[in-house]
Amino acid sequence: MSVQLSWFVARARRRFAMSRECSLLLPRVCAALADPRQPGSDDTCLEKLLDWFRHLAAFDPTEKLVQDNPCLTEFITSVLALPEPSPSILSFTLRLAGILAASENRFQHLQEKLLVRLFGRDGPLNSAMWEDASVRSGWVEGVHSMMHHQPALHFLCNGGGIDVIFTLQGDPSLFVASAASQLLVHVLTFSVEAEATKPLSTKDCDWPASAQMIIKHIEDSLQSSSASHIKQSLKLLTSLFGSCHATWTEVLWLGIAKQIESFLTEETVQAQHMLANLLLNMAWSPVFCDTEGSFWALVTSALERLTPVQAGPLAVGILRLYKCPQDVRIQALTVLLQPMDCILRAASQPLEYTGLLDESVSDPITVESLLSSKSSCASLLCQTLAHLEELLSLIRLPVDLPYTSLLRSLITILQFCNGFLSPASPLGSTISRILINCFRVQRSALDVLAALSERKGCDTLIGSLFDVLLAYLESPNTSPTVLKKTFQATSKWLVRLQELSCSNSQWQQTEKILEDVFLVLQKRLCSPCWEVRDSSLEFLTVLIKCLRDQDEFRQSLLSSEVPRLTENLLEDPESYVRASAVTAVGHLAFITYFAPESPVIGNQCNKENTVAKLQEILSTDSEGFPRRAVISIFTKWLRQGCTGQLEDTEQFVSRVIQTVEHDLDWEVRRGGLELVEVFCSQTVCQLGLSECPYAPVSSAVSSSIHQNELLQIFCRAKVFSFLFRSLCDCDKPVGQRACDILLGLRDNFYPVSTLKDSQGTGDSPAGRGIAWLQRTLGQGSLAQNFPTDDGNGVDFQDPESMMIVLGTIDLEELHDELNKSSDHMEKSPQSLLQDILATVGTTEENEADCY
Amino acid sequence: SYLSVFCLGPGAGQDVGRSCILVSIAGKNVMLDCGMHMGYNDDRRFPDFSYITQNGRLTDFLDCVIISHFHLDHCGALPYFSEMVGYDGPIYMTHPTKAICPILLEDYRKITVDKKGETNFFTSQMIKDCMKKVVAVHLHQTVQVDEELEIKAYYAGHVLGAAMFQIKVGCESVVYTGDYNMTPDRHLGAAWIDKCRPDLLISESTYATTIRDSKRCRERDFLKKVHETVERGGKVLIPVFALGRAQELCILLETFWERMNLKAPIYFSTGLTEKANHYYKLFITWTNQKIRKTFVQRNMFEFKHIKAFDRAFADNPGPMVVFATPGMLHAGQSLQIFRKWAGNEKNMVIMPGYCVQGTVGHKILSGQRKLEMEGRQILEVKMQVEYMSFSAHADAKGIMQLIRQAEPRNVLLVHGEAKKMEFLKQKIEQEFHVNCYMPANGETTTIFTNPSIPVDISLGLLKRETAIGLLPDVKKPKLMHGTLIMKDNSFRLVSPEQALKELGLAEHQLRFTCRVHIQDPRKEHETVLRVYNHLKGVLKDYSVQHLPDGSITVESILIQATAHSEDQGTKVLLVSWTYQVGILENILFKHLCS
Repeated sequence: MSVQLSWFVARARRRFAMSRECSLLLPRVCAALADPRQPGSDDTCLEKLLDWFRHLAAFDPTEKLVQDNPCLTEFITSVLALPEPSPSILSFTLRLAGILAASENRFQHLQEKLLVRLFGRDGPLNSAMWEDASVRSGWVEGVHSMMHHQPALHFLCNGGGIDVIFTLQGDPSLFVASAASQLLVHVLTFSVEAEATKPLSTKDCDWPASAQMIIKHIEDSLQSSSASHIKQSLKLLTSLFGSCHATWTEVLWLGIAKQIESFLTEETVQAQHMLANLLLNMAWSPVFCDTEGSFWALVTSALERLTPVQAGPLAVGILRLYKCPQDVRIQALTVLLQPMDCILRAASQPLEYTGLLDESVSDPITVESLLSSKSSCASLLCQTLAHLEELLSLIRLPVDLPYTSLLRSLITILQFCNGFLSPASPLGSTISRILINCFRVQRSALDVLAALSERKGCDTLIGSLFDVLLAYLESPNTSPTVLKKTFQATSKWLVRLQELSCSNSQWQQTEKILEDVFLVLQKRLCSPCWEVRDSSLEFLTVLIKCLRDQDEFRQSLLSSEVPRLTENLLEDPESYVRASAVTAVGHLAFITYFAPESPVIGNQCNKENTVAKLQEILSTDSEGFPRRAVISIFTKWLRQGCTGQLEDTEQFVSRVIQTVEHDLDWEVRRGGLELVEVFCSQTVCQLGLSECPYAPVSSAVSSSIHQNELLQIFCRAKVFSFLFRSLCDCDKPVGQRACDILLGLRDNFYPVSTLKDSQGTGDSPAGRGIAWLQRTLGQGSLAQNFPTDDGNGVDFQDPESMMIVLGTIDLEELHDELNKSSDHMEKSPQSLLQDILATVGTTEENEADCY
Repeated sequence: SYLSVFCLGPGAGQDVGRSCILVSIAGKNVMLDCGMHMGYNDDRRFPDFSYITQNGRLTDFLDCVIISHFHLDHCGALPYFSEMVGYDGPIYMTHPTKAICPILLEDYRKITVDKKGETNFFTSQMIKDCMKKVVAVHLHQTVQVDEELEIKAYYAGHVLGAAMFQIKVGCESVVYTGDYNMTPDRHLGAAWIDKCRPDLLISESTYATTIRDSKRCRERDFLKKVHETVERGGKVLIPVFALGRAQELCILLETFWERMNLKAPIYFSTGLTEKANHYYKLFITWTNQKIRKTFVQRNMFEFKHIKAFDRAFADNPGPMVVFATPGMLHAGQSLQIFRKWAGNEKNMVIMPGYCVQGTVGHKILSGQRKLEMEGRQILEVKMQVEYMSFSAHADAKGIMQLIRQAEPRNVLLVHGEAKKMEFLKQKIEQEFHVNCYMPANGETTTIFTNPSIPVDISLGLLKRETAIGLLPDVKKPKLMHGTLIMKDNSFRLVSPEQALKELGLAEHQLRFTCRVHIQDPRKEHETVLRVYNHLKGVLKDYSVQHLPDGSITVESILIQATAHSEDQGTKVLLVSWTYQVGILENILFKHLCS
């Protein structure tokens, strides 16, 4: 075990350990829970209690837990003795018993008698309580937790428990049914792994008794005429092959393969999509993907026989596999590309079509009929497009896709959708009629289009692609969600276009496209719909981020009205838009005010206006988003060294600090700390104190003059007052950040060795936590050591006293205290037990009132 | 035809916690609400959507998501669902919900991230991206989700913008109430729906058995407590969530302060007053009549006595009332103020809502007075702790009233406790004689519907039918004959000729033929003559003819005779008739065979 891992385990063990306090509280909690006169405990309490027991049981498999806490067994006994326990308490008891019985020692300790009364025939399963889904669910979960040793397995199988689980697979509650199916997979796997005496093979297949029962049940169900039984078994097999990759799964498969194959041809079962899932999980299992012949033949046959909608998920799963026979891959590709091929065919004249697919492998009739039907056309296309996007998002594709034809088909779909293409062919005109204004298909197609921009080989169609994208950007019929996707696709393709124009010098085409894009962006920035204005600003920011080094881009942007309109949106009534406008304006500044070659560089007045506007937003905007955006832009500017062009950086930082330190939004305050961190790091570097930010000073030789200068700068910029006050912030992340920065700063003034010495002597900082600091900063009781300001508080402007404060406060201890999650008390088992006890005897009034 | 309902709750019982219901109606799948359970701080807080993804990709499977109102147990999982799980389809909510929902989501995100430093939680950007996908709807506006599916919002009271939704496909419909309130409060009106007679009404049942005590009493009680505390120089802390109930309490205090001419300051933290003010102004039509009337002279939400809070005010001497977030006293400003004031018995904290286990709010409400804070410090709570529920749900009476208004064919109860729901279920079944269901989370309830499918009838056919019979009469159903055709998703009954014409089909004559063997050694034409004479004699009312080509016709039935190829003594009578003949061929066969 690695050191780090063992540290985590030790911490978790400490955190969830049974403390003395807890062991004193537990008997009372158990008594309260088993008392039917008490109002039912909040379900979340019971869940959290089980979480705790799960941890306790996992860390110590001995019977100590039940021995030391006899109240647990007593609790189970007393719940069983109740004539009518509440379903939630009974369910809790079943789950608790299962968790406790998970180790063999405790299983023996609890004795079979007690467990039989819980999980056996005479237990809840034959009582009226069984009607309640939560009791059945508790039973399944309890058994599942227990199933980690052979005595439990025998207990289950000998007591007829397996039959109960078989029945529960068809439970009216989907939660119970699904848990039962998972449990069977677990029992089967565990049984084979724990009990098989020798490796299983087709010739010598001696399944252990429990496994045999389950396998027989699977085989019988598959041969039965009941569709629901068949489906349950298919589901079970799917999760088995998905989770267990042992060689014995192949032995199991060979026994049922013929039967499964027959379901492909029989239409009565109607479990095609389950078959596809099953085959997919098998294909991903190393047991099957290496096999020759029969399995892959079955997959091929499934790809041929299933409808395109059913086969789609299987096909895309196959195409993601690196190990797969070539012919299966081609078949899978055919399934995915057929709808796209059909679209291309529908849009072109019969003779001019050079398709995506070889006609010898494709059978277009089914796809054509699906695409010509109103009810199936959009869903088939959306599914296909989603699968294509999934494939294209893979960094390494195991298969070559015909990118150019794919792009052509996407363009065609988008043209169908906005009515730009209504072909003469009957199929084409039907499809175009169905697809017109279909937002679902538009969104999916644009997603694929964006993903396709990463792939090479689509360059010849770039002109017509932008025609379509621009048409979407311009059209008033484009819905806001479609427009957002269009922006995303456009930005990706503009980057691609730029790369292309660099290589083939087609500047004119690029310029024209950029001009058109900015023209339409101008319109969109004035849209009455905030979603559109916001997406437009986000689009602009992305473009600037990616293309700000390109001359044509900068020229087109600056000669358009876009910059002016963007600045106007700083006053938008919608806060989301204001925030996006801040970000866009901030990025625009890189190519306007802060770019040395920019034509607007000289316009100092505009520059100052813009900065003043952002400052104003930071200090007065009623919403957090714009203020957060401003502070993040300021930090970005500072990081890139642009603020020096505005005014003295020190003054700038000082002013920002004073604005944000009283902000109501802690994320703005934390943003302010980030700005301070960058400022400190840059100042330290500029004064040559340290090569890289925050590296501790190697020796005390470093110039004290520089140190002094540094302290003075930080004091003047009001950095210390902000940092120390932030330590006591009511929102934890602010305090944590401040502490981190102070630790980094301190290392510039106090080499580690000297600090240990100074802290080891005299005034010990022990116990100087946040509370102490809060008192001290407020009352100036540090005054004995440091000068104070007039108000008798600590004087943060005084470099000398700041030097002493840095050396005196035990920042490490503060750091630990702050990093202790603020909900550590809430999450502690003791707090949970106290809460459960506290609710004893209270009325129900408080609980019902959720909102 | 049937529709099914599936509740994706947190456990397998009827747990109150978060709402997320899946309705399948006439092949369309709609998700109603997408709530979060605040009692958990791991993945259990969100519904387990894997039960839906079993059906394929979410965006393909679901036709839309509808959010009833902005409370987090109804919308808290939405950004997770749309931006992290991957649903990319349409989301519908009312305009106020769309405006306020992101504020609450953002508020909760900040608390969650602040408190736990969690990673598997949505970000600000995700909330925004999610809200951009939302289509806002107006009350009573029929929104066409697609060609078949339409939805319509009705006023639900409860909180600003809360709506009940009718979901309709063809003539089948479901109404989902979300949370609603049938009695108007200080700023909202009562829920209302028209007699839309849905196949199913899905109703919340939080207060299934409670008949709420008079609201006035509760309000009086609240004001008395605040007043007493302030009078004796104490401070009152009211932890609240950003928007919603806080505004109701603000109006209450503002009016009281004005009436009693009180001077103690009232503060509202984190700049939310302006925001709330803005939204209530914007959506003034969603408030009740009184507010709308007075709005002309004075905006009820522009408070005279309630001021913005600054952190430094908490240390000021003297009485004051502070509304601070978050509502469960588990982090941030409300907790900070609580720590400062808890030790003084003159002070008071009023908890106006539910608190999850583990929070300081939960602890003090359950009577714990010594709290272990961070760093093992013990905080002794000497201040008074009060719980004051102001939530606006329909009580049992209200639920019955809504059923009476809407007249559903079936009722399904959700969002309540099993025992209480059982009582109400019986009451509903007795009074309205409809089926009432209360499924556990994870269970699918299937309800069979009898959709009456409207069929248009062509004028020509109607004229023809009325020409031979009486005029159509609603009270006397009448059988009509015609050809039923389905075209452009609608049914029409037309005459066969018109059907052929419209569908572009050629007419075909269907004839049935049958061979009857007769032992008769005579020549064929003699056999024919014998048969002709026999039929002529027995079928006096019908036209029986002997044609020159040797065949016989009885009305449209044709009979020909030939000799058997192998046995000359046997004659084969070939009888051919159309489907229109009806009984005649039976009579004929009887005679031929005899």
